[in-house]
Amino acid sequence: MPKHVSRNDSSPGPLGVKSLVIFTVLLLAWMAGFLSRLFAVIRFESIIHEFDPWFNYRSTAHMVQHGFYNFLNWFDERAWYPLGRIVGGTVYPGLMVTSGSIHYVLSLLNIPVHIRDICVFLAPIFSGLTAISTYLLTKEIWSTGAGLFAACFIAVVPGYISRSVAGSYDNEGIAIFALMFTFYLWVKSVKTGSLFWSCLTSLSYFYMVSAWGGYVYIINLIPLHVLVLLIMGRFSSRLYTAYSSFFILGLVCSMQIPFVGFQPIRTSEHMAAAGVFVLINAVAVLQHIQSRMSKSDFRSVFYAACAIAAGVVFLAVVLLTYFGFIAPWSGRFYSLWDTGYAKIHIPIIASVSEHQPTTWFSFFFDLHILIATFPAGLWYCIKHVTDERVFIVLFAVSAVYFAGVMVRLMLTLTPVVCVLSGVAFSKLFEVYLKDEAPQRSNLESSEDEEERTNKYDKAGKLRKMKHEQTANSESLGSNIRTLVILAVLMMLMMFTVHCTWVTSNAYSSPSIVLASYGQDGSRQILDDFREAYYWLSQNTPEQARVMSWWDYGYQIAGMANRTTLVDNNTWNNSHIALVGKAMSSNESAAYEIMTALDVDYVLVIFGGVIGYSGDDINKFLWMVRIAEGEHPKDIRESDYFTERGEFRVDSEGSPTLLNCLMYKLSYYRFGELKLDFRSAAGFDRTRNAVIGNKDISLTYLDEAYTTEHWLVRIYRVKKPDEFNRPQLPSLAKKRKIKSSKKDLERDINRKKRGAIRNRPVVVKGQRPKTKAT
Amino acid sequence: MVRWYYLLLAFTIAIGFSESKKELTQGERVQQLTDAAIKKPIINLNSEKFRQFVKATPRNYSVVVMFTALAANRQCGICRHASDEFQLVGNSWRYSPSFSNKLFFAMLDFDEGSDIFQQLHLNSAPVFMHFPAKGKPKKLDTLEIQRVGFSSESIARWVAERTEIQIRVFRPPNYTGLLALVVLLAMVVGLLYLRKNNLDFLYNSTTWGLIALAFVFVMTSGQMWNHIRGPPFLQKTQGGNIAYIHGSSQGQFIVETYIIASLYAAVSLGMVLLTESAGKREDVGKRRIFAMVGLALVVFFFSLLLSIFRTKAQGYPYSFLLK
Repeated sequence: MPKHVSRNDSSPGPLGVKSLVIFTVLLLAWMAGFLSRLFAVIRFESIIHEFDPWFNYRSTAHMVQHGFYNFLNWFDERAWYPLGRIVGGTVYPGLMVTSGSIHYVLSLLNIPVHIRDICVFLAPIFSGLTAISTYLLTKEIWSTGAGLFAACFIAVVPGYISRSVAGSYDNEGIAIFALMFTFYLWVKSVKTGSLFWSCLTSLSYFYMVSAWGGYVYIINLIPLHVLVLLIMGRFSSRLYTAYSSFFILGLVCSMQIPFVGFQPIRTSEHMAAAGVFVLINAVAVLQHIQSRMSKSDFRSVFYAACAIAAGVVFLAVVLLTYFGFIAPWSGRFYSLWDTGYAKIHIPIIASVSEHQPTTWFSFFFDLHILIATFPAGLWYCIKHVTDERVFIVLFAVSAVYFAGVMVRLMLTLTPVVCVLSGVAFSKLFEVYLKDEAPQRSNLESSEDEEERTNKYDKAGKLRKMKHEQTANSESLGSNIRTLVILAVLMMLMMFTVHCTWVTSNAYSSPSIVLASYGQDGSRQILDDFREAYYWLSQNTPEQARVMSWWDYGYQIAGMANRTTLVDNNTWNNSHIALVGKAMSSNESAAYEIMTALDVDYVLVIFGGVIGYSGDDINKFLWMVRIAEGEHPKDIRESDYFTERGEFRVDSEGSPTLLNCLMYKLSYYRFGELKLDFRSAAGFDRTRNAVIGNKDISLTYLDEAYTTEHWLVRIYRVKKPDEFNRPQLPSLAKKRKIKSSKKDLERDINRKKRGAIRNRPVVVKGQRPKTKAT
Repeated sequence: MVRWYYLLLAFTIAIGFSESKKELTQGERVQQLTDAAIKKPIINLNSEKFRQFVKATPRNYSVVVMFTALAANRQCGICRHASDEFQLVGNSWRYSPSFSNKLFFAMLDFDEGSDIFQQLHLNSAPVFMHFPAKGKPKKLDTLEIQRVGFSSESIARWVAERTEIQIRVFRPPNYTGLLALVVLLAMVVGLLYLRKNNLDFLYNSTTWGLIALAFVFVMTSGQMWNHIRGPPFLQKTQGGNIAYIHGSSQGQFIVETYIIASLYAAVSLGMVLLTESAGKREDVGKRRIFAMVGLALVVFFFSLLLSIFRTKAQGYPYSFLLK
């Protein structure tokens, strides 16, 4: 942990040492943050993770290759076949531009780096910048010491690492930096009231808008701050300057992003900012009038004007919404308020695991001791309230609500928790390391250094309290002090250990390369996904269209470079429902849909062989649900359950399920496979059941490729002439029956003979053996 | 033997009725049903009417019947609930623009038609059955309450599945939430008005601090999850013990979240006590006690928190003081 190091390497001295300490701590925080995000790179390789990052990587590569303007005009015909996707107008380009410009600068300096490596390491590098901006924000709000604590916390806290490990090339990685930096600049501009800082705020806000859809949080939180300050009677010309310039410039800037466009003046999410802008101008006018009127006159005017202004704003918004000039809240935002909304109305939002509410376990998992101590910091901020501390209080209260509703928004809670915990711990250490100045040990000296920093840096209440305290010479006694300090340091150490453990175990798997551990600790790499995508890119025609569930769309486009029907940008629900319908219908009905959509290959993920739980059969009910939402006549969820309402794949499963396309494609030839000496043939390890339909034959599709561990299975859709051609059906059928019988015999044989355990054996058509019974 | 007797009796009664009352023609029946439906969206049946309208064979209309036991002495709490939801569907159908005489909603109480219950082998209530215009009810013509529940939306979806008649359930908007809010606001405003000469408490940072902390504890202990998922308060294990803590990291009990919230509060209180005790200008002995109490609170409750966390996270290696 960087704190400890810095504590040892400094000695009391003049101002230069203070900045040296700050610099060292921040540098070490940056390095610690960067290094702890590298688990995945060291264990696997420098690779892009998961799903969305693959799209970001693909567009970045496209931008680097074709230039920025071509990127903005990019129409991607490889996605959403046959619709295509206008990529330039439907992405937040901040991420691509950031890594693209880094690449550009490096190549100007003659440092040849592949764009992929920049993409992989972008988030860890930005985590250091986040730490610095957190330090700056906390310094403005409390003190330098608290700022250093907060920087160290945010560098290693799992709640933020979860979105910023190396390889997780996603918007959030840079957006949290932009968020914290915008907040720092905003607090700075409220404190100084200078136009310079508020212009910088809106520029930083512009960067945030270009990077992440979460900018809506900023454009609501800052007006809320202003509103609360107005209610508290803390209006000042500083606030007026800061907000009105930020609002106008921010509005104009944010509309420059093609994806955002006219939303800032057309949607409800942005109306709060406009309303507060009107209000603060009204208040400013009233203040001006007040200076020209007597007090009693002003009182009545003030109340009337306030009521009228508020009423006019409210009515205007309602009317504009009613007549359709302002779009009402979009589903994703609406589901944050009415928590039952998404579940009933938008299954595609509800189906994403990130959109689930948060248990206390996840809070503790992601924040450890900070979640228990940050209320103390919140308490101090409220007790010693100033303009900027109002901001951090509002930030904390709103972020904690959103994090409770959605696991994903833990990300916005994490920085504020770090800031407030920094406040709590720094206040604690401040008083416990303070007034034994003569006999303090070497270990405590740097903490006191931070102490001294406060005095130079911050005036006001804090400092006065310390003077009082030093005047009061009766101390608690060195034993108690040492005990407290040791105990708290111990807990902070547990925090760092916890962070490393969580990062290593929970957040560092690339999810396209799987690893399994044997009993002796040996590691086995399962590289089936890349195997399959590479096969696709090498063995299929350039224009082949691959149908899969939407989770794998970005990966297929990114790694195999083939056309997909649906992908993780879930903008067209009915198209997804069509794919879901094809997957959940029987083979002939599915074939009609597939020919209508020109599908050449079908790709399914099947985890039954290795016990991988995130496969398509486990996701299957969502396909059915989404398909049912659009085609209630053809697909009914209840058909896929047994009579007792269970979802089973074994012989008791519902016949509709056992004959649908997804089931057939997942389990084709699986009934012949014996994984294990003890288990029966066709035993599915993920669902712990012997499959119900072992004798699967495909009429319209043909198995094209199955990866080593059967994780990805690819099927080719036959052309009409291939299966319409007169065959010898009687012969084929006879052979089939015979072979299945032989399998049975073989099973019996096998039991007698004994076999090597844990060795997957694919049983194909084999020579007849001697009869066993 | 007894059952046979009943059945026989039922038959004779049925035959008797049909002979005595004479079979109504289909047109008459539709007319009567429509009249009844216009008066009351859910038609009340008894055994005789049930046979007359639902069982009679040439039909060009479907009937959805709720078999229930609403009498107080039957003590069927769930029936009342189901009946309300069913009423809602019936009303929505009755006042929908597509209302026609193709579909009727009816109910049969056990006390008015126990023989029908026996005839249909129903031994529980409530049961929703659909009697299609042609043929006999099949398996799917009974609503699977265990699986889909009996909210009016799922009833309507099931009816749409069976009859291809879409009913948009119109729930009379729930004003209780709004009303509560208005009352609360009125109370707050009233309170402020009564104390208008003494509004200092509004500027009291302690009040606001406590409110903010309470909100934070509520949220971080996962009350929102409870609100959305509705977990049980606590659970009895097979051994007869009571489990306060959910075994897996995916779930939690309500009582568990209360425990966690109080642990968080205790740790935060400990932090504040620790800090305050060192900075105040008071008697040293008192401050020492405060410091020790604060330290004990922080350390003990944090270790407790960690050990609860450990029981839920399988394979988590670290602990502090407590196992």
